[in-house]
Amino acid sequence: MSGIARGRLAEERKSWRKNHPHGFVAKPETLPDGTVNLMVWHCTIPGKTGTDWEGGYFPLTMHFSEDYPSKPPKCKFPQGFFHPNVYPSGTVCLSILNEDSGWRPAITVKQILVGIQDLLDQPNPADPAQTEGYHLFIQDATEYKRRVRQQAKQYPPLV
Amino acid sequence: MENNALRDRIFADNEHEEIPDSFVCCVCLDLLYKPIVLSCGHICCFWCVYNSMNCLRESQCPVCRHQYYHFPTVCQMLHFLLLKIYTVPYKRREEQTLEEEKKSGFYSPQFDPETCESQAKFGHSGIPSSSSIMNLTSNSCNVGTSECMEQSGSTTHERDEGTVYSNGEPDIVGTPAKRKKLPQEDISLEQKLSVADVTCTMCKQLLFRPVVLNCGHVYCQTCVVNTDEDMLRCQVCQSPHPNRSPKVCLELDHFLEEQFPEEYRQRRDAIELKQIKVKLETPSCSLDKGNKGENTDWWSDPDSKVHIGVGCDFCGMFPIIGDRYRCADCTEKMGFDLCGDCYASRSKLPGRFNQQHTSEHKFKLEQSNIIHNIMLRLATAQLGDTSIDLESVGNLEIASDSPTMFDDGEDNHSDSETTN
Repeated sequence: MSGIARGRLAEERKSWRKNHPHGFVAKPETLPDGTVNLMVWHCTIPGKTGTDWEGGYFPLTMHFSEDYPSKPPKCKFPQGFFHPNVYPSGTVCLSILNEDSGWRPAITVKQILVGIQDLLDQPNPADPAQTEGYHLFIQDATEYKRRVRQQAKQYPPLV
Repeated sequence: MENNALRDRIFADNEHEEIPDSFVCCVCLDLLYKPIVLSCGHICCFWCVYNSMNCLRESQCPVCRHQYYHFPTVCQMLHFLLLKIYTVPYKRREEQTLEEEKKSGFYSPQFDPETCESQAKFGHSGIPSSSSIMNLTSNSCNVGTSECMEQSGSTTHERDEGTVYSNGEPDIVGTPAKRKKLPQEDISLEQKLSVADVTCTMCKQLLFRPVVLNCGHVYCQTCVVNTDEDMLRCQVCQSPHPNRSPKVCLELDHFLEEQFPEEYRQRRDAIELKQIKVKLETPSCSLDKGNKGENTDWWSDPDSKVHIGVGCDFCGMFPIIGDRYRCADCTEKMGFDLCGDCYASRSKLPGRFNQQHTSEHKFKLEQSNIIHNIMLRLATAQLGDTSIDLESVGNLEIASDSPTMFDDGEDNHSDSETTN
C-alpha cells in the first residue's frame, strides 16, 4: 500500500499546529507554484536557554522518503554547521535517526526536533561526524565554546 | 466529481473528529483501523504493521522495537469495539483504506459482524456499507469465520438480538432496541458500550489485564495457560502463539479500567485473591519458564531458505524461512502461501489478505532464489540492514517465483520437519 507517508505527515502537521514546543518551527515546504510539498519540512530549532546555544535559531531541513515512517527522515542543518555530530554536509548523526539503531516509526517530528535540540548542547563524542567540531570539543573547551556562541549569533531569530 | 465530494466530506469530518490519544495508531497517527496487537502489547493498524515489517528478516515493533517474526491477525474484538465507539471516524478510515486497497490490489481481511466471534454487537446498520462494494465473492470466507464455526459449538453464542450475554451478567447498560432508536452521535460511551463487548475469550468475564495472541484472540493475562511445553497455543483456534508470553495491552487495559471502574475493580479483587492461593503452590514465574523466546535457529542457519517478502497465511511467519508452499489456485494478487510447518499440519484457513482460499486448492513447493539468498546473507552481514522498498520486493517476489517447482509438496515433508 502506498501513501502512508503523506497521510502520516498530514497528521503530523495537524498535531503540530494543535500544539508544539515553544520557539520551534516546523512547516512543510511550499513550492513556487503555491502547492505544499509534505515530503520536505523546513524547521527551526532554538538553542536551549542557559546553554552556549541560547539565542540561536538553527534552521533544519527534514527530508522524508516514501518509506516514512518505516524509515527515518534525513535531517540537515546548513552545510558546514559546527557540531561534533553533524556531518560536513549538514546531516545530523543521531541514534534515533538511524534506521538500524534507534529509529522507531512511533517517533514523531516533535520528538525528533526536541531530540536534536538536546543533542546540540550534549554532543556524543563516541560518534563523531566532523573533525573540527570533534577535536575542539575533545581538546579545546574554550575555543569550542567560543565557536558555538559565534554560531548562535550567526542564526538570530527570524523577526 | 462525486468521488471528490465524498473525499471532501471525509476530510471535513476528520477536522471535527475528536479521537483520544489512546486509540491512535503510532504509525499513521490516525484512528486505529483493523487493529493488530503485537506481542509487546502495542497496537497498530493492519496495514501499518504490514508495511513496517521487514521483508528480509525479523521485524520490530514500531513503538518499542521489540522483535517479532510473525504477522499477527487482526484483533476482531478491538475492531468491533472501535467501530462501535468511533463509528463515524472508523467508517471514514474504512473508506480511505478500501480506496487504497483497490489501488494496490491487496486487500485486508473482511469481518462480518454476524459471524464474528467477538461478543461485540454492532447495534445499528449491521454490515459495513463498503463491504458490499467488494466484489471478491462473498464475505463468508473471512479469517474469523471458520474459527467461529468451531467455536459456536462449544460456547453459547448469541446471534439473536444481542440481549443474551455469555458472561451471564444481567446488569448491562442499554438494550439494543434503545440503541437503534437514537442517532449514534447522541449516545454517550457508557450507553453504547457494555461489558459484553470486552470479555475474555476464556473466562467470558470482563477482560482484566488483556493480552492478545498472534491469532487475534483476547484473553485476560491470567487466563492464558501454557499447556504446551514449547509453545503457547490459543485455546479457541489452536493457533500457536510464536512469541514469548504476550505482554498486557496497556492501552486497552486503561480503557477498560476507565469505562468499567466497578466491574474492573471486582475482577481485580477476584484475581488477586486467586493469585495468592496459586502462589503457594507454584512459583509465580511458571508462565515465563519455557520462554527463551521463539525458536530462532532457522534465522541463523546459513542454509535456510528465505522467501523475501512472502509470509505464511496461517501462522504469519514473515518472511517465510525454510519450505514455502504456494497455492496454485488462489487468484488474488497477494497469493496464498504456507510455511513448511503449517503445510504439514494441514492448517488451511482462509488467508490474511482476504484471499478466497479453500481446502480444495492445490499447493506447490516454491524454491527460494539461491542467488538472492547469497546476496541477502552478504547484505545483512555487511550492511546490517538492507533497505528494500516495497516495489522492489514485488519484483523480487516475481523473480523468486520462476525457479523450479515441484508438482506436489507431499514428498518433501521430511524436509519441512527438520526446520521445526
